[in-house]
Amino acid sequence: MNPVQSLSIAVQKLFGRQRLRRIILGSIPFIMLLSLWRMNTVNEWLPPVFIPPMASIIEAISILQDECTGIGGILTMNPGCLFTNHVLSSLGRVGLALILGLPFGIAFGVLAGMNRRVSNVLEPIGVFANAISGIAWVPLAIVWFGIGAMTTLFILLNTIFWLVFFNTLLGVRSVPSVLENSVLTLGGSRWNIITQVYFPGALPSIVTGIRMSMGFGWRALIAAEMIGGDSGLGFMIFVSASEYKIEEVFLGVIVIALIWMFTDRSILVPIEKWTVQRWGMVWRPS
Amino acid sequence: MATTSPSVERPRVVRSARWRRFTKGGGVELLIMVLGILAFWSFLSSVIPNPSRYLPAPLTVLFSSSDMLWKGLLPNYLGQTLFRLVLGSVLGLAIGIPFGILLGLNRTVSDIFYPILNFFQSISGIAILPIIVVWWGNSEKTVFTVILYTAMFPITFNVLAGVRSIPRIYVNMLRSLGASRLQVVRDVILPGAMPYIATGARLGIAFAWRAVIAGEMLVGKRGLGWMIFTAQDTDHTDEVILGMVMIGVIWILIDRFALRPIEADTIQRWGLVQR
Repeated sequence: MNPVQSLSIAVQKLFGRQRLRRIILGSIPFIMLLSLWRMNTVNEWLPPVFIPPMASIIEAISILQDECTGIGGILTMNPGCLFTNHVLSSLGRVGLALILGLPFGIAFGVLAGMNRRVSNVLEPIGVFANAISGIAWVPLAIVWFGIGAMTTLFILLNTIFWLVFFNTLLGVRSVPSVLENSVLTLGGSRWNIITQVYFPGALPSIVTGIRMSMGFGWRALIAAEMIGGDSGLGFMIFVSASEYKIEEVFLGVIVIALIWMFTDRSILVPIEKWTVQRWGMVWRPS
Repeated sequence: MATTSPSVERPRVVRSARWRRFTKGGGVELLIMVLGILAFWSFLSSVIPNPSRYLPAPLTVLFSSSDMLWKGLLPNYLGQTLFRLVLGSVLGLAIGIPFGILLGLNRTVSDIFYPILNFFQSISGIAILPIIVVWWGNSEKTVFTVILYTAMFPITFNVLAGVRSIPRIYVNMLRSLGASRLQVVRDVILPGAMPYIATGARLGIAFAWRAVIAGEMLVGKRGLGWMIFTAQDTDHTDEVILGMVMIGVIWILIDRFALRPIEADTIQRWGLVQR
Protein backbone atom coordinates (compact mmCIF):
# COMPACT_ATOMS: atom_id res chain seq x y z
CA MET A 1 0.00 0.00 0.00
CA ASN A 2 1.41 3.35 -0.92
CA PRO A 3 1.10 6.32 1.45
CA VAL A 4 -1.66 7.96 -0.64
CA GLN A 5 -3.90 4.93 -0.31
CA SER A 6 -3.29 4.53 3.41
CA LEU A 7 -3.97 8.23 3.92
CA SER A 8 -7.24 8.00 2.04
CA ILE A 9 -8.28 4.99 4.12
CA ALA A 10 -7.37 6.84 7.29
CA VAL A 11 -9.47 9.85 6.24
CA GLN A 12 -12.39 7.61 5.34
CA LYS A 13 -12.16 5.90 8.71
CA LEU A 14 -12.06 9.25 10.48
CA PHE A 15 -15.11 10.81 8.84
CA GLY A 16 -17.02 7.78 7.64
CA ARG A 17 -17.42 6.93 3.97
CA GLN A 18 -20.95 8.19 3.45
CA ARG A 19 -20.35 11.39 5.35
CA LEU A 20 -17.18 12.07 3.43
CA ARG A 21 -19.03 11.56 0.16
CA ARG A 22 -21.76 13.95 1.25
CA ILE A 23 -19.28 16.60 2.37
CA ILE A 24 -17.36 16.43 -0.91
CA LEU A 25 -20.47 16.44 -3.09
CA GLY A 26 -22.07 19.22 -1.06
CA SER A 27 -19.04 21.43 -1.34
CA ILE A 28 -19.06 21.34 -5.17
CA PRO A 29 -21.71 24.09 -5.66
CA PHE A 30 -20.08 26.25 -3.01
CA ILE A 31 -16.71 25.98 -4.75
CA MET A 32 -18.33 26.72 -8.12
CA LEU A 33 -20.19 29.70 -6.71
CA LEU A 34 -17.08 31.10 -5.08
CA SER A 35 -15.01 30.64 -8.25
CA LEU A 36 -17.76 32.31 -10.29
CA TRP A 37 -17.66 35.16 -7.83
CA ARG A 38 -13.89 35.35 -8.17
CA MET A 39 -14.12 35.26 -11.97
CA ASN A 40 -16.65 38.06 -11.83
CA THR A 41 -14.21 40.16 -9.86
CA VAL A 42 -11.36 39.46 -12.27
CA ASN A 43 -13.31 39.87 -15.51
CA GLU A 44 -15.68 42.58 -14.20
CA TRP A 45 -18.86 41.25 -15.80
CA LEU A 46 -20.84 42.98 -13.10
CA PRO A 47 -19.31 46.09 -11.53
CA PRO A 48 -18.09 45.92 -7.91
CA VAL A 49 -20.96 48.18 -6.90
CA PHE A 50 -23.29 45.22 -7.53
CA ILE A 51 -21.06 42.33 -6.52
CA PRO A 52 -18.11 43.30 -4.35
CA PRO A 53 -14.82 41.42 -4.52
CA MET A 54 -14.40 38.76 -1.84
CA ALA A 55 -11.37 40.42 -0.30
CA SER A 56 -13.32 43.61 0.35
CA ILE A 57 -15.81 41.72 2.50
CA ILE A 58 -13.02 40.56 4.80
CA GLU A 59 -11.70 44.10 4.66
CA ALA A 60 -15.10 45.42 5.68
CA ILE A 61 -14.82 43.58 9.00
CA SER A 62 -11.54 45.24 9.80
CA ILE A 63 -12.86 48.65 8.72
CA LEU A 64 -15.93 48.26 10.91
CA GLN A 65 -13.80 46.97 13.80
CA ASP A 66 -11.21 49.71 13.27
CA GLU A 67 -11.32 51.39 16.66
CA CYS A 68 -11.91 48.22 18.60
CA THR A 69 -9.69 47.45 21.59
CA GLY A 70 -9.32 43.68 21.60
CA ILE A 71 -11.63 41.11 23.09
CA GLY A 72 -12.40 43.27 26.11
CA GLY A 73 -13.77 45.94 23.81
CA ILE A 74 -15.90 43.40 21.97
CA LEU A 75 -17.40 42.01 25.15
CA THR A 76 -18.13 45.41 26.71
CA MET A 77 -19.63 46.54 23.38
CA ASN A 78 -17.21 49.40 22.98
CA PRO A 79 -18.70 51.85 20.43
CA GLY A 80 -15.62 51.36 18.25
CA CYS A 81 -16.43 47.71 17.54
CA LEU A 82 -19.25 48.36 15.07
CA PHE A 83 -19.55 44.90 13.55
CA THR A 84 -19.48 42.78 16.70
CA ASN A 85 -21.79 45.27 18.41
CA HIS A 86 -24.43 44.72 15.75
CA VAL A 87 -24.03 40.93 15.95
CA LEU A 88 -24.13 40.92 19.74
CA SER A 89 -27.14 43.22 19.96
CA SER A 90 -29.11 40.98 17.58
CA LEU A 91 -28.12 37.85 19.49
CA GLY A 92 -28.74 39.50 22.84
CA ARG A 93 -32.22 40.45 21.74
CA VAL A 94 -32.95 36.88 20.68
CA GLY A 95 -31.66 35.60 24.03
CA LEU A 96 -33.69 38.11 26.03
CA ALA A 97 -36.83 37.39 24.04
CA LEU A 98 -36.33 33.66 24.61
CA ILE A 99 -35.82 34.11 28.35
CA LEU A 100 -38.94 36.26 28.60
CA GLY A 101 -41.11 34.62 25.97
CA LEU A 102 -40.60 30.88 26.45
CA PRO A 103 -41.61 30.51 30.13
CA PHE A 104 -44.65 32.71 29.69
CA GLY A 105 -45.65 31.10 26.41
CA ILE A 106 -45.36 27.57 27.83
CA ALA A 107 -47.01 28.44 31.15
CA PHE A 108 -49.98 30.20 29.59
CA GLY A 109 -50.26 27.51 26.96
CA VAL A 110 -50.46 24.74 29.57
CA LEU A 111 -52.94 26.72 31.66
CA ALA A 112 -55.12 27.44 28.65
CA GLY A 113 -54.92 23.88 27.37
CA MET A 114 -56.00 22.34 30.67
CA ASN A 115 -59.57 23.47 30.33
CA ARG A 116 -61.35 22.62 27.11
CA ARG A 117 -63.78 25.54 27.35
CA VAL A 118 -60.97 28.02 27.91
CA SER A 119 -58.86 26.54 25.15
CA ASN A 120 -61.76 26.68 22.71
CA VAL A 121 -62.01 30.39 23.35
CA LEU A 122 -58.30 31.10 23.29
CA GLU A 123 -57.52 29.08 20.17
CA PRO A 124 -59.07 31.54 17.66
CA ILE A 125 -57.42 34.40 19.50
CA GLY A 126 -54.08 32.61 19.17
CA VAL A 127 -54.74 32.07 15.46
CA PHE A 128 -55.49 35.76 15.00
CA ALA A 129 -52.45 36.87 17.01
CA ASN A 130 -50.21 34.57 14.98
CA ALA A 131 -51.66 35.91 11.76
CA ILE A 132 -50.60 39.47 12.57
CA SER A 133 -47.52 38.61 14.60
CA GLY A 134 -44.19 39.78 13.38
CA ILE A 135 -43.72 42.55 10.92
CA ALA A 136 -47.25 43.98 10.92
CA TRP A 137 -46.78 45.21 14.49
CA VAL A 138 -43.77 47.35 13.57
CA PRO A 139 -45.62 50.64 12.80
CA LEU A 140 -47.67 50.44 15.98
CA ALA A 141 -44.60 49.49 18.00
CA ILE A 142 -42.81 52.55 16.61
CA VAL A 143 -45.70 54.73 17.76
CA TRP A 144 -45.63 53.20 21.23
CA PHE A 145 -41.93 52.76 21.89
CA GLY A 146 -40.22 54.95 19.32
CA ILE A 147 -37.42 53.73 17.07
CA GLY A 148 -34.96 51.63 18.98
CA ALA A 149 -34.26 48.48 20.93
CA MET A 150 -37.67 48.32 22.61
CA THR A 151 -39.50 48.13 19.29
CA THR A 152 -37.39 45.27 17.94
CA LEU A 153 -37.60 43.40 21.24
CA PHE A 154 -41.37 43.82 21.25
CA ILE A 155 -41.68 42.41 17.73
CA LEU A 156 -39.52 39.42 18.56
CA LEU A 157 -41.29 38.76 21.85
CA ASN A 158 -44.67 39.02 20.17
CA THR A 159 -43.72 36.48 17.51
CA ILE A 160 -42.13 34.02 19.95
CA PHE A 161 -44.80 34.22 22.64
CA TRP A 162 -47.81 33.58 20.42
CA LEU A 163 -46.27 30.70 18.47
CA VAL A 164 -45.06 28.94 21.62
CA PHE A 165 -48.36 29.60 23.37
CA PHE A 166 -50.38 28.26 20.47
CA ASN A 167 -48.29 25.12 19.99
CA THR A 168 -48.29 24.37 23.71
CA LEU A 169 -52.05 24.77 23.77
CA LEU A 170 -52.48 22.34 20.90
CA GLY A 171 -49.99 19.93 22.43
CA VAL A 172 -51.69 19.87 25.83
CA ARG A 173 -55.05 19.38 24.19
CA SER A 174 -53.80 16.43 22.21
CA VAL A 175 -52.86 14.52 25.38
CA PRO A 176 -55.50 11.76 25.79
CA SER A 177 -57.69 12.40 28.80
CA VAL A 178 -57.39 8.72 29.77
CA LEU A 179 -53.82 9.36 30.87
CA GLU A 180 -54.95 12.35 32.90
CA ASN A 181 -57.75 10.36 34.54
CA SER A 182 -55.46 7.47 35.36
CA VAL A 183 -53.07 9.74 37.25
CA LEU A 184 -56.04 11.28 39.06
CA THR A 185 -57.33 7.80 39.97
CA LEU A 186 -53.95 6.87 41.40
CA GLY A 187 -54.19 9.87 43.67
CA GLY A 188 -52.20 12.45 41.72
CA SER A 189 -52.74 16.12 42.42
CA ARG A 190 -53.41 18.84 39.84
CA TRP A 191 -49.75 19.77 39.97
CA ASN A 192 -48.76 16.14 39.34
CA ILE A 193 -50.90 16.12 36.24
CA ILE A 194 -49.27 19.25 34.92
CA THR A 195 -45.72 18.05 35.47
CA GLN A 196 -46.22 14.33 34.74
CA VAL A 197 -48.88 14.31 32.04
CA TYR A 198 -49.47 17.60 30.29
CA PHE A 199 -45.93 18.85 30.05
CA PRO A 200 -44.27 15.63 28.81
CA GLY A 201 -47.20 14.90 26.53
CA ALA A 202 -47.05 18.35 24.98
CA LEU A 203 -43.26 18.46 24.81
CA PRO A 204 -42.86 17.42 21.13
CA SER A 205 -45.39 20.06 20.16
CA ILE A 206 -43.74 22.65 22.41
CA VAL A 207 -40.31 22.02 20.92
CA THR A 208 -41.72 22.23 17.39
CA GLY A 209 -43.30 25.52 18.44
CA ILE A 210 -39.98 26.80 19.74
CA ARG A 211 -38.23 25.89 16.49
CA MET A 212 -40.96 27.53 14.42
CA SER A 213 -40.97 30.62 16.61
CA MET A 214 -37.21 30.95 16.21
CA GLY A 215 -37.56 30.67 12.43
CA PHE A 216 -40.30 33.27 12.19
CA GLY A 217 -38.76 35.35 14.99
CA TRP A 218 -35.30 35.62 13.47
CA ARG A 219 -36.79 36.76 10.16
CA ALA A 220 -39.10 39.22 11.91
CA LEU A 221 -36.21 40.55 13.97
CA ILE A 222 -34.10 41.29 10.88
CA ALA A 223 -37.03 43.08 9.22
CA ALA A 224 -37.91 44.96 12.42
CA GLU A 225 -34.33 46.13 12.82
CA MET A 226 -34.40 47.44 9.26
CA ILE A 227 -37.58 49.45 9.78
CA GLY A 228 -37.67 50.37 13.44
CA GLY A 229 -34.26 49.61 14.93
CA ASP A 230 -31.12 51.52 15.70
CA SER A 231 -28.74 48.57 16.06
CA GLY A 232 -28.40 44.94 15.02
CA LEU A 233 -27.56 43.09 11.83
CA GLY A 234 -30.74 44.10 10.02
CA PHE A 235 -30.07 47.74 10.79
CA MET A 236 -26.48 47.34 9.64
CA ILE A 237 -27.32 45.90 6.22
CA PHE A 238 -30.12 48.39 5.64
CA VAL A 239 -27.96 51.43 6.42
CA SER A 240 -25.03 50.04 4.42
CA ALA A 241 -27.30 49.48 1.43
CA SER A 242 -28.56 53.05 1.54
CA GLU A 243 -24.92 54.21 1.57
CA TYR A 244 -24.10 51.80 -1.29
CA LYS A 245 -21.51 49.96 0.84
CA ILE A 246 -22.43 46.67 -0.75
CA GLU A 247 -19.53 44.75 0.82
CA GLU A 248 -20.96 45.45 4.28
CA VAL A 249 -24.38 44.27 3.10
CA PHE A 250 -22.90 41.00 1.82
CA LEU A 251 -21.01 40.57 5.08
CA GLY A 252 -24.17 41.09 7.11
CA VAL A 253 -26.25 38.75 4.96
CA ILE A 254 -23.65 35.97 5.17
CA VAL A 255 -23.41 36.38 8.95
CA ILE A 256 -27.22 36.27 9.25
CA ALA A 257 -27.28 33.02 7.27
CA LEU A 258 -24.44 31.45 9.24
CA ILE A 259 -25.98 32.33 12.61
CA TRP A 260 -29.33 30.87 11.62
CA MET A 261 -27.78 27.76 10.07
CA PHE A 262 -25.75 27.11 13.20
CA THR A 263 -28.70 27.69 15.56
CA ASP A 264 -31.06 25.53 13.56
CA ARG A 265 -28.77 22.64 12.70
CA SER A 266 -26.74 22.27 15.85
CA ILE A 267 -29.22 23.36 18.50
CA LEU A 268 -32.85 23.29 17.44
CA VAL A 269 -32.97 20.23 15.15
CA PRO A 270 -31.12 17.91 17.59
CA ILE A 271 -33.34 19.03 20.46
CA GLU A 272 -36.45 18.45 18.37
CA LYS A 273 -35.26 15.02 17.24
CA TRP A 274 -34.37 14.01 20.77
CA THR A 275 -37.68 15.18 22.17
CA VAL A 276 -39.73 13.43 19.54
CA GLN A 277 -37.72 10.26 20.08
CA ARG A 278 -37.96 10.41 23.86
CA TRP A 279 -41.44 11.84 24.40
CA GLY A 280 -43.17 11.61 21.06
CA MET A 281 -45.73 9.09 19.91
CA VAL A 282 -47.63 9.02 23.17
CA TRP A 283 -49.65 5.85 23.32
CA ARG A 284 -53.19 6.59 22.28
CA PRO A 285 -56.04 4.43 23.53
CA SER A 286 -58.07 3.23 20.60
CA MET B 1 -99.91 26.28 22.55
CA ALA B 2 -100.42 22.58 22.40
CA THR B 3 -100.49 22.03 18.65
CA THR B 4 -97.86 23.32 16.30
CA SER B 5 -97.71 22.36 12.68
CA PRO B 6 -94.56 20.52 11.48
CA SER B 7 -93.84 23.21 8.92
CA VAL B 8 -93.27 25.66 11.74
CA GLU B 9 -91.37 23.16 13.83
CA ARG B 10 -88.72 22.29 11.31
CA PRO B 11 -86.78 25.53 10.96
CA ARG B 12 -86.69 25.82 14.74
CA VAL B 13 -84.97 22.44 14.98
CA VAL B 14 -82.39 23.44 12.38
CA ARG B 15 -81.66 26.65 14.17
CA SER B 16 -81.27 24.93 17.49
CA ALA B 17 -78.86 22.40 16.01
CA ARG B 18 -76.75 25.18 14.58
CA TRP B 19 -77.02 27.02 17.88
CA ARG B 20 -75.88 23.94 19.78
CA ARG B 21 -72.90 23.51 17.49
CA PHE B 22 -72.07 27.19 18.01
CA THR B 23 -72.21 26.92 21.79
CA LYS B 24 -70.41 23.57 21.90
CA GLY B 25 -67.54 24.98 19.87
CA GLY B 26 -67.14 27.73 22.46
CA GLY B 27 -68.90 30.31 20.33
CA VAL B 28 -70.60 32.12 23.19
CA GLU B 29 -67.42 32.29 25.24
CA LEU B 30 -65.51 33.52 22.21
CA LEU B 31 -68.11 36.22 21.58
CA ILE B 32 -67.92 37.33 25.21
CA MET B 33 -64.13 37.27 25.06
CA VAL B 34 -63.98 39.37 21.88
CA LEU B 35 -66.51 41.84 23.28
CA GLY B 36 -64.49 41.96 26.50
CA ILE B 37 -61.29 42.68 24.60
CA LEU B 38 -63.04 45.42 22.61
CA ALA B 39 -64.49 46.90 25.83
CA PHE B 40 -61.09 46.82 27.52
CA TRP B 41 -59.54 48.40 24.43
CA SER B 42 -62.04 51.26 24.38
CA PHE B 43 -61.68 51.70 28.13
CA LEU B 44 -57.91 51.89 27.75
CA SER B 45 -58.12 54.40 24.93
CA SER B 46 -60.49 56.58 26.96
CA VAL B 47 -58.10 56.60 29.93
CA ILE B 48 -54.72 57.23 28.29
CA PRO B 49 -53.73 60.73 27.23
CA ASN B 50 -53.73 61.51 23.52
CA PRO B 51 -55.57 58.35 22.40
CA SER B 52 -55.68 59.33 18.73
CA ARG B 53 -51.91 58.96 18.67
CA TYR B 54 -51.32 55.95 20.90
CA LEU B 55 -54.44 53.81 20.90
CA PRO B 56 -57.56 55.02 19.07
CA ALA B 57 -60.87 53.53 20.18
CA PRO B 58 -62.27 50.59 18.18
CA LEU B 59 -65.02 52.75 16.72
CA THR B 60 -62.52 55.35 15.50
CA VAL B 61 -60.61 52.56 13.77
CA LEU B 62 -63.81 51.31 12.19
CA PHE B 63 -64.80 54.76 10.97
CA SER B 64 -61.38 55.41 9.48
CA SER B 65 -62.12 52.59 7.05
CA SER B 66 -65.18 54.36 5.65
CA ASP B 67 -63.10 57.34 4.67
CA MET B 68 -60.57 55.14 2.89
CA LEU B 69 -63.31 53.08 1.29
CA TRP B 70 -64.93 56.26 0.02
CA LYS B 71 -61.71 57.33 -1.65
CA GLY B 72 -61.26 53.83 -3.05
CA LEU B 73 -57.86 53.47 -1.44
CA LEU B 74 -58.56 50.39 0.64
CA PRO B 75 -59.69 48.08 -2.20
CA ASN B 76 -56.79 49.33 -4.27
CA TYR B 77 -54.19 48.52 -1.60
CA LEU B 78 -55.82 45.23 -0.81
CA GLY B 79 -55.89 44.22 -4.47
CA GLN B 80 -52.24 45.09 -5.00
CA THR B 81 -51.11 43.16 -1.92
CA LEU B 82 -53.15 40.09 -2.85
CA PHE B 83 -51.92 40.26 -6.43
CA ARG B 84 -48.32 40.24 -5.21
CA LEU B 85 -49.00 37.34 -2.86
CA VAL B 86 -50.77 35.25 -5.48
CA LEU B 87 -48.27 35.85 -8.27
CA GLY B 88 -45.30 35.29 -5.95
CA SER B 89 -46.76 32.09 -4.54
CA VAL B 90 -47.73 30.72 -7.95
CA LEU B 91 -44.24 31.38 -9.28
CA GLY B 92 -42.76 29.86 -6.13
CA LEU B 93 -44.85 26.73 -6.61
CA ALA B 94 -44.04 26.55 -10.30
CA ILE B 95 -40.31 26.64 -9.58
CA GLY B 96 -40.23 24.84 -6.24
CA ILE B 97 -42.21 21.71 -7.12
CA PRO B 98 -40.24 20.62 -10.23
CA PHE B 99 -37.00 21.52 -8.51
CA GLY B 100 -37.88 19.50 -5.42
CA ILE B 101 -38.86 16.49 -7.54
CA LEU B 102 -35.64 16.71 -9.56
CA LEU B 103 -33.63 16.77 -6.34
CA GLY B 104 -35.59 13.92 -4.83
CA LEU B 105 -35.20 11.61 -7.82
CA ASN B 106 -31.48 11.14 -7.48
CA ARG B 107 -29.57 10.86 -4.23
CA THR B 108 -26.34 12.16 -5.73
CA VAL B 109 -28.06 15.25 -7.10
CA SER B 110 -29.73 15.95 -3.79
CA ASP B 111 -26.44 15.40 -1.95
CA ILE B 112 -24.84 17.98 -4.23
CA PHE B 113 -27.49 20.67 -3.95
CA TYR B 114 -28.90 20.17 -0.45
CA PRO B 115 -26.19 22.07 1.51
CA ILE B 116 -26.19 25.11 -0.76
CA LEU B 117 -29.98 25.28 -0.76
CA ASN B 118 -29.90 25.03 3.00
CA PHE B 119 -27.46 27.92 3.10
CA PHE B 120 -29.63 30.11 0.90
CA GLN B 121 -32.72 29.14 2.83
CA SER B 122 -31.06 30.38 6.00
CA ILE B 123 -30.80 33.85 4.43
CA SER B 124 -34.33 35.02 4.92
CA GLY B 125 -35.87 36.75 1.93
CA ILE B 126 -36.07 40.02 3.78
CA ALA B 127 -32.32 39.96 4.49
CA ILE B 128 -31.41 39.87 0.79
CA LEU B 129 -33.76 42.80 0.15
CA PRO B 130 -31.04 45.45 0.67
CA ILE B 131 -28.84 43.71 -1.93
CA ILE B 132 -31.66 43.55 -4.45
CA VAL B 133 -32.56 47.17 -3.78
CA VAL B 134 -29.00 48.11 -4.69
CA TRP B 135 -29.26 46.01 -7.88
CA TRP B 136 -32.66 47.01 -9.16
CA GLY B 137 -33.73 49.99 -7.08
CA ASN B 138 -37.14 50.39 -5.47
CA SER B 139 -39.00 48.61 -8.26
CA GLU B 140 -41.81 46.11 -8.42
CA LYS B 141 -39.24 43.55 -9.55
CA THR B 142 -37.48 43.85 -6.18
CA VAL B 143 -40.62 43.03 -4.19
CA PHE B 144 -41.45 40.06 -6.40
CA THR B 145 -37.94 38.68 -6.13
CA VAL B 146 -38.12 38.79 -2.35
CA ILE B 147 -41.54 37.11 -2.27
CA LEU B 148 -40.47 34.43 -4.73
CA TYR B 149 -37.25 33.80 -2.83
CA THR B 150 -39.12 33.47 0.45
CA ALA B 151 -41.84 31.17 -0.89
CA MET B 152 -39.61 28.90 -2.95
CA PHE B 153 -37.40 27.28 -0.32
CA PRO B 154 -39.98 25.82 2.08
CA ILE B 155 -41.82 24.40 -0.94
CA THR B 156 -38.67 22.87 -2.43
CA PHE B 157 -37.61 21.29 0.87
CA ASN B 158 -41.03 19.84 1.54
CA VAL B 159 -41.33 18.40 -1.96
CA LEU B 160 -37.90 16.84 -1.51
CA ALA B 161 -38.98 15.29 1.79
CA GLY B 162 -42.17 14.09 0.13
CA VAL B 163 -40.36 12.37 -2.73
CA ARG B 164 -37.98 10.75 -0.22
CA SER B 165 -40.95 9.43 1.79
CA ILE B 166 -42.24 7.30 -1.08
CA PRO B 167 -41.39 3.62 -0.58
CA ARG B 168 -38.87 2.35 -3.14
CA ILE B 169 -41.02 -0.70 -3.90
CA TYR B 170 -43.65 1.37 -5.69
CA VAL B 171 -41.08 2.88 -8.02
CA ASN B 172 -39.44 -0.51 -8.56
CA MET B 173 -42.77 -2.15 -9.26
CA LEU B 174 -43.69 0.33 -11.96
CA ARG B 175 -40.23 0.09 -13.44
CA SER B 176 -40.44 -3.69 -13.66
CA LEU B 177 -43.84 -3.41 -15.28
CA GLY B 178 -42.13 -1.41 -17.99
CA ALA B 179 -43.03 2.17 -17.09
CA SER B 180 -40.82 4.96 -18.33
CA ARG B 181 -39.17 7.44 -15.98
CA LEU B 182 -41.75 10.07 -16.90
CA GLN B 183 -44.59 7.69 -16.08
CA VAL B 184 -43.01 6.89 -12.73
CA VAL B 185 -42.85 10.60 -11.92
CA ARG B 186 -46.42 11.16 -13.05
CA ASP B 187 -48.04 8.13 -11.44
CA VAL B 188 -45.96 7.50 -8.32
CA ILE B 189 -43.75 10.40 -7.34
CA LEU B 190 -46.20 13.24 -7.86
CA PRO B 191 -49.21 11.65 -6.12
CA GLY B 192 -47.01 10.21 -3.37
CA ALA B 193 -45.45 13.56 -2.61
CA MET B 194 -48.80 15.37 -2.77
CA PRO B 195 -49.43 15.71 1.00
CA TYR B 196 -45.95 17.11 1.51
CA ILE B 197 -46.40 19.47 -1.42
CA ALA B 198 -49.59 20.82 0.14
CA THR B 199 -47.91 21.28 3.52
CA GLY B 200 -44.93 22.98 1.89
CA ALA B 201 -47.19 25.26 -0.10
CA ARG B 202 -48.99 26.36 3.04
CA LEU B 203 -45.74 27.07 4.87
CA GLY B 204 -44.24 28.84 1.86
CA ILE B 205 -47.29 31.04 1.40
CA ALA B 206 -47.28 31.87 5.12
CA PHE B 207 -43.69 33.07 4.83
CA ALA B 208 -44.55 34.87 1.60
CA TRP B 209 -47.41 36.77 3.25
CA ARG B 210 -45.02 38.20 5.83
CA ALA B 211 -42.52 38.97 3.09
CA VAL B 212 -45.15 40.87 1.10
CA ILE B 213 -45.95 43.10 4.07
CA ALA B 214 -42.30 43.70 4.94
CA GLY B 215 -41.30 44.22 1.31
CA GLU B 216 -44.02 46.80 0.77
CA MET B 217 -42.89 48.68 3.86
CA LEU B 218 -39.23 48.71 2.91
CA VAL B 219 -39.48 49.23 -0.83
CA GLY B 220 -42.45 51.60 -0.70
CA LYS B 221 -44.88 49.94 -3.10
CA ARG B 222 -48.57 50.59 -2.56
CA GLY B 223 -50.33 47.90 -0.56
CA LEU B 224 -51.41 47.02 2.95
CA GLY B 225 -47.86 47.04 4.34
CA TRP B 226 -47.21 50.39 2.74
CA MET B 227 -50.54 51.66 4.08
CA ILE B 228 -49.74 50.94 7.73
CA PHE B 229 -46.20 52.22 7.32
CA THR B 230 -47.17 55.59 5.82
CA ALA B 231 -50.11 55.91 8.22
CA GLN B 232 -47.63 55.65 11.07
CA ASP B 233 -45.48 58.31 9.41
CA THR B 234 -48.41 60.71 9.17
CA ASP B 235 -49.69 59.93 12.69
CA HIS B 236 -52.85 58.11 11.57
CA THR B 237 -52.69 55.39 14.20
CA ASP B 238 -56.31 54.42 13.53
CA GLU B 239 -55.33 53.46 9.99
CA VAL B 240 -52.34 51.52 11.32
CA ILE B 241 -54.58 49.40 13.53
CA LEU B 242 -57.13 49.02 10.75
CA GLY B 243 -54.40 47.76 8.45
CA MET B 244 -53.09 45.34 11.08
CA VAL B 245 -56.53 43.88 11.72
CA MET B 246 -57.05 43.52 7.98
CA ILE B 247 -53.70 41.77 7.57
CA GLY B 248 -54.68 39.33 10.30
CA VAL B 249 -58.20 38.74 9.07
CA ILE B 250 -57.16 38.27 5.44
CA TRP B 251 -54.50 35.76 6.39
CA ILE B 252 -57.01 33.81 8.49
CA LEU B 253 -59.46 33.84 5.58
CA ILE B 254 -56.80 32.65 3.12
CA ASP B 255 -55.58 30.00 5.54
CA ARG B 256 -58.98 28.74 6.66
CA PHE B 257 -60.86 28.79 3.38
CA ALA B 258 -58.15 28.09 0.82
CA LEU B 259 -54.96 26.56 2.15
CA ARG B 260 -56.17 24.38 5.01
CA PRO B 261 -59.04 22.72 3.09
CA ILE B 262 -56.70 22.04 0.19
CA GLU B 263 -54.15 20.53 2.53
CA ALA B 264 -56.74 18.42 4.34
CA ASP B 265 -58.26 17.21 1.09
CA THR B 266 -54.87 16.34 -0.34
CA ILE B 267 -53.89 14.39 2.74
CA GLN B 268 -57.22 12.60 2.72
CA ARG B 269 -57.01 11.80 -0.97
CA TRP B 270 -53.32 11.04 -1.40
CA GLY B 271 -51.89 10.67 2.07
CA LEU B 272 -51.03 7.54 4.02
CA VAL B 273 -50.27 5.54 0.91
CA GLN B 274 -48.02 3.23 2.87
CA ARG B 275 -49.37 1.00 5.57
